[in-house]
Amino acid sequence: MPKTVRDIVHEARRVVPEVTVEALHERMTRGEAPLLLDVRDPDEYRDGYIDGALSLSRGFLEFRIASLIPDPNAEIVTYCQTGLRSVLAAKALQDLGYANVKNLTGGVQKWKETGYRTVAYRKMTEEQLARYSRHLMLAQIGEQGQRKLMNAKVLLVGAGGLGSPAGVYLAAAGVGTLGVVDADVVDITNLQRQILHTTASVGKPKVDSAKETLAALNPEVQVIPYQVRLTSMNVMDIIREYDVVLDGSDNFETKYLVNDACHLAGKPNVYGSIFQFEGQASVFHPTEGPCYRCLFPSPPPPGLVPT
Amino acid sequence: MLGVLPGIVGVIQATEALKLIVGYGTPLIGRLLTYDAQEMRFKEIKLRKDPACALCGEHPTITDLMDYEAFCGVRAAS
Repeated sequence: MPKTVRDIVHEARRVVPEVTVEALHERMTRGEAPLLLDVRDPDEYRDGYIDGALSLSRGFLEFRIASLIPDPNAEIVTYCQTGLRSVLAAKALQDLGYANVKNLTGGVQKWKETGYRTVAYRKMTEEQLARYSRHLMLAQIGEQGQRKLMNAKVLLVGAGGLGSPAGVYLAAAGVGTLGVVDADVVDITNLQRQILHTTASVGKPKVDSAKETLAALNPEVQVIPYQVRLTSMNVMDIIREYDVVLDGSDNFETKYLVNDACHLAGKPNVYGSIFQFEGQASVFHPTEGPCYRCLFPSPPPPGLVPT
Repeated sequence: MLGVLPGIVGVIQATEALKLIVGYGTPLIGRLLTYDAQEMRFKEIKLRKDPACALCGEHPTITDLMDYEAFCGVRAAS
């Protein structure tokens, strides 16, 4: 007797372990994500896929998987729109000898309903291919990495000595959105090191001057100015939108504020500080490693020159 | 302050931000990189998570934001 679709799906479900969107998301935030395989048709993939997912439609699965994922022991999570096509795909991969294949329950639909982000695929323009060509040549970045940069949001805390060079290089690299928090206006004494600002911008808000410089360097970058001092009252609302926070602040209260807010909001904090001839940098990650308070449990006595 | 110093440190920060976004390389997590512009020397200090840390330790006492100016003792008398 021929099998029905239900029989086939049922058989596949018996042998393919499932993973929930919450569990996958948690592992991805920890940076230990498995290989994600989007088995939908290319047009569905382009409309919105889970960040980092490889595209291999169900129709070509058996023919192309070996070149896409040569390691039969690689941990793979398949997904489709609702989790049906992908469970069949997962079963097919098992039959081909892939030993560690799971299926994402509920698919990308469930992923979106839970409030997690997807990435829309847009073909890179000729200009983008040229602008980012040196990144595209690197195996570690390539088109997929460049796309991540173009979809990424980084918040610069401070548009001063640290935020200036960081902002310039992040904009040049094609980071899609740069938020810039700074309450100050440009002073002539800033120009010796704060390369976002020019002589012509003296007296202007630093966030406006930063936006002009960054937009001139790379018009594709969206610069969002916040001409405020970061405080307990506004920090959570501001950092919520961002993937990474870069602390370029010049005072201890902001360093503790950024550290605590990033930890509580689950954002990585790229820390830097400088004094006279010495500088230091680290990354404080919300789920691994120490934070700024592990390093400096309490602030130095008031009046000490700020870092 | 030497003007190029924040340039070096800010670019190191940008490098780390790019690595976190793209997901390649070894991030500067658990390491403090120090740079001495006068002697032109980089050093690396291993950082350990403090189990007694008030924020990220085993029994955190900081579960919400605080008054940071008061905490750092910089509040101007008003």
